[in-house]
Amino acid sequence: MGSLLPASLLHAQPNNGKTLTIVLPSNPITIDPINQLNHDAMVLGQTVFENLVEYDVDGVLKPQLAKALPTVSADQKTYTFELRDDVTFHNGKKMTAEDVKYSFDYLLDPANKALRRPIFAKIAKVSVLDPLKVQIELAEPYGQWVYFLTKYMGIFPAGSRKEHGDEYFKQRPAGIGTGFGVFEEWKPNDYISFRKNPNYWRKGLPAWDRLVVKMIPEDATRVAYLLTGQVDIISAPPPREFNRLKTMPNVAGASRPTLGGSLLMFTNNLKAPFDDVNFRKALACATDRKTIADKVYYGLLDPTGGLAPPRGWWYNPEADKEIAFDLERAKQFLAKSKYPNGAEIDISIQAEPYLLDTKDAAIFLQAQLAKIGIKLNLKVYEFSVLIQQIARGEHQMAMQVYMSPGEPTYTIANTVMPGQFLSKSTGYDNAELNALMSAAFAESDQAKLKDIYGKMQMILARDAPIGVLGFVHASNLWRQGVQNFKVNQALTMSVGEVKL
Amino acid sequence: MLRLVAGRIVSSIGTLLFVGLALFALTRSGPGSPARIVLGADATAEQIVQFEQAHGLDRPFLAQYVAWLGDVAHGDFGKSFVTGRDVANEIADALPVTLAIVLFAFLIALVFGIGIGVLAALKPGGAFDRVSRFASVLGLSIPAFWLGIVLIRFLAVDLRLLPPGGYVPLSAGLSLHLQSILMPSLSLAVYYIAVLARMTQASLQETLRGDYVRTARAMGLSSGQVVFYALVNALPPVVNLAALSFGYMFGWALIIEQVFNIPGLSRALLNAISQRDFLLLQGIVFLFTAIFVFANLGADLINRVLDPRQRATA
Repeated sequence: MGSLLPASLLHAQPNNGKTLTIVLPSNPITIDPINQLNHDAMVLGQTVFENLVEYDVDGVLKPQLAKALPTVSADQKTYTFELRDDVTFHNGKKMTAEDVKYSFDYLLDPANKALRRPIFAKIAKVSVLDPLKVQIELAEPYGQWVYFLTKYMGIFPAGSRKEHGDEYFKQRPAGIGTGFGVFEEWKPNDYISFRKNPNYWRKGLPAWDRLVVKMIPEDATRVAYLLTGQVDIISAPPPREFNRLKTMPNVAGASRPTLGGSLLMFTNNLKAPFDDVNFRKALACATDRKTIADKVYYGLLDPTGGLAPPRGWWYNPEADKEIAFDLERAKQFLAKSKYPNGAEIDISIQAEPYLLDTKDAAIFLQAQLAKIGIKLNLKVYEFSVLIQQIARGEHQMAMQVYMSPGEPTYTIANTVMPGQFLSKSTGYDNAELNALMSAAFAESDQAKLKDIYGKMQMILARDAPIGVLGFVHASNLWRQGVQNFKVNQALTMSVGEVKL
Repeated sequence: MLRLVAGRIVSSIGTLLFVGLALFALTRSGPGSPARIVLGADATAEQIVQFEQAHGLDRPFLAQYVAWLGDVAHGDFGKSFVTGRDVANEIADALPVTLAIVLFAFLIALVFGIGIGVLAALKPGGAFDRVSRFASVLGLSIPAFWLGIVLIRFLAVDLRLLPPGGYVPLSAGLSLHLQSILMPSLSLAVYYIAVLARMTQASLQETLRGDYVRTARAMGLSSGQVVFYALVNALPPVVNLAALSFGYMFGWALIIEQVFNIPGLSRALLNAISQRDFLLLQGIVFLFTAIFVFANLGADLINRVLDPRQRATA
């Protein structure tokens, strides 16, 4: 029987220990968290690197390399972290406050061109108070930054960037993290593997000896690997088959709504016909989101027109109602607009699926908007071209899944406020919204924050600068026998606690 | 003969030069510049100019083409914009994988295609002929990617006989290697089995109707000898078709590799396209073209050996 066992896996797993094999749908470009674009691939960085605090699979902020959550000064500008004293890097060196300072200083230095620097740019100064205590000062209140660490940051040894260079962090980061997995090998287009970190500070973890992350772009093949027992967990199962597959023998599966994965329509407010608020609202009200959620995504999308997840604590149903599907209102808005006879619009969509395939949704939308005289021309581009187009504001309208860490401000700040990576995706700038955002950054009381976020959603519903179809669910399938695996609300698979 | 071969080689090189030029024009006319993609959306104009200068992208189109040809003539395909690795090394990593699948598929197609064609030609209208005609129509109609998915479903998922995907190099063991390439090669070969079987059958039937075959039979040659000589004479069109098929297989292998999760040239090519990695893209497509052109050249040369009339006209 030995020779009939899965050949590719035998090749990928020469050891006899407990190997956990998981599958990604796309080919990662980097492991380095400060330059990571792909949310599926973040499992790689999160295996090697850790942060002061962790935004966990349930969306709860927890201490990680810090002993406890930080103490925050009354003016909300100074954060003090006390570090664990039992953490060592994979190279055996003990982690100290110097390493934390070095990591942040490297991230924040514009000369290092870290892709994720802008979201941490309000950090003004990082100081070492003692070997296990570090203080982070912000230029202005910005409580959200701690939620972004898990996805976009990691702590590495002082001097390591200079010693190894950026390519090392990108492709073979051995010896420079504190995480549960130690980088072992990257076989391009095939797999990336990690060994168990025997000195991991969370005693008893991980429960596996080796982690293999395979890349399998084809949906049917990814599922076949799971059904033949060659792999243990897969991400991005095809929505239309998910419910059938999760009830198959020896397979388990679950999905949960993400708080930050939104299916967006980037409408360029600086270009006609989106320069007219009534036209934008006509489009919003002519969009039947529930049909798209049911027929295209088989329930793996929570439909909403507001820029907040319906299951998030900050969701404002009134805002959602303002731009809910209503064909009569859509026609009224269109009649009031500069374009009462409708318009012809180019919508840019992505060729290869990322997080969710959006092509079918665009076709449904095309049919829905035709009912009020809006003609959509579908233009298909690869991700690398589409993201450039959106970031530079060269599109008229574009549809894409946008993933944020799952807290209330990130998506709004990046898409409908000035000075950010995707500001030109809408070209929208509203002083009232910007002021509310500043107020949110300075507030820590959840009840007050809910009020502020509710007002922001109302402004966005009133002006409709960006189209929203809904918030996506994260879903995974795994082999029976895989224990302690939980679908991550932030989409990226989390495998540190998984047992086989 | 030598002059003719030299002439064919020269015209093949001409074809390659033309394809290279067309490829250059196509890669540079698509949306998305490599500088923007490699450097990211927030790259400054200065950084973009610097990148384009460093990679020669600021030079006139024809100057870029001539420089590239000069490098290729010296075996230098340039460096990938994205990974910085030599394009030749990138191709050298992926080519053996694709080659293993295509060669195995080609072998399957030749053995089964010609074998079925010969058997069907011997008894036109017989049971085998009718079954093979029906099977050929099926083989011509079934898309390879669909067949691949069906094979995965039955042979891997239901019967657990073969791995559902992935590639194992020969160095890891012959059995594992063959298991990993059997389904992909079979999916790729089925269409060409059908094509070659039909061509072999038609060509052999026509040859068997020839006067000299009747004469050979009258002279008392065994039917085995008669079929053998007839087959040699029937082969030239089959060889031409086989050579074309070999070239086409590289194209279809791109889809097969995606279905079976095989890290061959298709992954490299698709990544090169999406990242606007011009030099890698050019290198791979140029390689495919060269394979296609030289497979045809090879077919011509084989036909000259098989058919004395072609030698006589040389």
